[in-house]
Amino acid sequence: MSSTELTDTGHETVAATPPATRLRMVPLLEVRQSVSERLRIGVYVISLLVAAALSVALLAWSGVAPSDLGREIATTAFSSPRALGSVLVRTAPLVIAGLATAIAFRANFWNIGLEGQMILGAIFASAVAIYDIGPENGRVVTMALAACLGGMLWIAGPGLLKQRLGINEVITTLLLNYVAFNLLLHMVYGPWKDPVSAFPHTEQYETFERLPMLGWLNLNWALPLAVGLALILWWIMSFSRVGYLLDLMSSNARMAGAVGVPVAGLTVAAILGSGAVGGLTGFAISAGVEFRMTQDFFSGYLFSGVLIAFLGRNHPLGVVVVAFFMAVLLLVGQSLQVFFGVPFALVQLIQAIFITCVAASEFFLTYRMHWRQAA
Amino acid sequence: MSDFLLNWLINIPGFAAPFALAALGLIITERAGVLNLGAEGFMLVGALAGVGAMLNGSAPLLALGGSVVAGMLLGLLFAVMVASLRINHVISGLALVFFAQALVSFIASAERWNNKAIAGLEPVFLGQDVVIFAVPVLTLAVLWLLNKTRFGLSLRAVGENPGAADAAGIDVTAMRFAAIVIGAGLIGLAGGYLTVAVSRIWVDTVVGGRGWIAIALVIFARWHPWRAVLGAVLFGCIEALIPRIAATGADVPRYFLQMTPYLATLGVMIWAALRGSDRWAQPAALGQHHIREERD
Repeated sequence: MSSTELTDTGHETVAATPPATRLRMVPLLEVRQSVSERLRIGVYVISLLVAAALSVALLAWSGVAPSDLGREIATTAFSSPRALGSVLVRTAPLVIAGLATAIAFRANFWNIGLEGQMILGAIFASAVAIYDIGPENGRVVTMALAACLGGMLWIAGPGLLKQRLGINEVITTLLLNYVAFNLLLHMVYGPWKDPVSAFPHTEQYETFERLPMLGWLNLNWALPLAVGLALILWWIMSFSRVGYLLDLMSSNARMAGAVGVPVAGLTVAAILGSGAVGGLTGFAISAGVEFRMTQDFFSGYLFSGVLIAFLGRNHPLGVVVVAFFMAVLLLVGQSLQVFFGVPFALVQLIQAIFITCVAASEFFLTYRMHWRQAA
Repeated sequence: MSDFLLNWLINIPGFAAPFALAALGLIITERAGVLNLGAEGFMLVGALAGVGAMLNGSAPLLALGGSVVAGMLLGLLFAVMVASLRINHVISGLALVFFAQALVSFIASAERWNNKAIAGLEPVFLGQDVVIFAVPVLTLAVLWLLNKTRFGLSLRAVGENPGAADAAGIDVTAMRFAAIVIGAGLIGLAGGYLTVAVSRIWVDTVVGGRGWIAIALVIFARWHPWRAVLGAVLFGCIEALIPRIAATGADVPRYFLQMTPYLATLGVMIWAALRGSDRWAQPAALGQHHIREERD
């Protein structure tokens, strides 16, 4: 019985004195011991819906009506095989970027240095192209391997510092992005400036230095590369011994170490793997989209990579799905910029809304809230 | 040569002040046990608010006040994420930086604030402006707040042992809210100073990783205000040197020069870790959530 009910049924509606101790409900948090799969999926879906609703509202406020938005999505992405092809071309590097981030996150290593690793990947791949290293018919493979090596080198430092000295990898990987960017600028404004146009980007790659076309729509080999990589990682993470040990390690590293899991070796492998795939992302864009190293080919990928890995729950197949929707979002954002004059930063804002909503939803998975009567 | 030295020295405080202010804000937040990776984001909104206010005819000091408010508003969001919803501190910090980057870029392009010169803060004495002289005062104020007041004692207690603080009747969530919002205000001011006093123009990259450098600085300073100011001066020296060297026309590759603050930060972090006394200097509950009902 609450106090309001009493006053409603009583005669002295106006003069009712407040009870000496008012009933005050306070929230109390309880840590959930286990979370059912249904609850997990439910909360996740709801958080996505909330984020989508906020995004649509934000767009409407910026002058894009929901009906226009729907039409824009339909025409940009799904109106023709050609349109779908453009989405898939955009999807491929995003998948690789998401995988690079997810590998590190799975091993509890916060790799925020994707852009730096992409840049080093592109620099190494471009070096192979510019200095004509290796036979022409295998050139593109050499470039891909070089890109992996570049990315690995760039993450090795933060990995070593984390493992040996316990230095926070968020800061080191992030700072190295700035170092890599300046290195990129040095190369494209200096020794690697395009001799043909004198613009600050490398000279165009030869045909055999580009990812070959698939011969279907406008797709090239970046997409099979991305999907193949996702499938291999899926197999490693979900069916192999390594994946099992990774799971053990990420849930409780100390316990895993005590029962003989090679924690240090696994972590180092995951860190280097993440860097290698990060380098490959740079290659996929340089050799698959731009056909040269430009000075801003990497921009936005750090943000997208973290978001894709996070929303994809660090699951390789989840990454593929989220990357596809991200590609749609990016293309729609471009077209809204052209036809509605909406700043492209709005797309970033929408990404931030999604990451925040999904992160906030974890609260409902971790805790159960009780309303309890205060004393 | 003496011209070079003089030009260099006179520019150091201006480059050091943003680092010092941001580091002070970070210390307040982190002493309450909140790992604050959002510094870059707070600086960005502060920097944009400063430019926005100046372009709308505000006085420089008022614009800096706007930067503080902007930082605090974003701080409220961070506080809800970290202190109320208890989201992982790393994810919250990153999400906040991403959000701030998108927000400032969106507002700047919607309001057409990009690349517009503003008047800026004028020097008052020895070529330095008021904020420079306020930095030592603020440092003393932060020291006093943390060490001499009941509020500071509670704040540090929450950062060292939230369970015990809770048992002693301190509202852990409220303390962390306060620490985040006050800290975010100072970091916002650091960002505002960057645009209103130093760059006097808005571009999306104006903060350029200084928030991350400040985080490293705080680790280097072992969460101590004076040492943080000292570190800020060190970075001020490095940053002030870059344009000086470029101005002499010396044949040093420009982009390698621009790497130096980031490389120096890495060096400083390695040095701090090798010295190895961080274990006790770091607030014991940094990055940890507190739930009364949780049993560990």
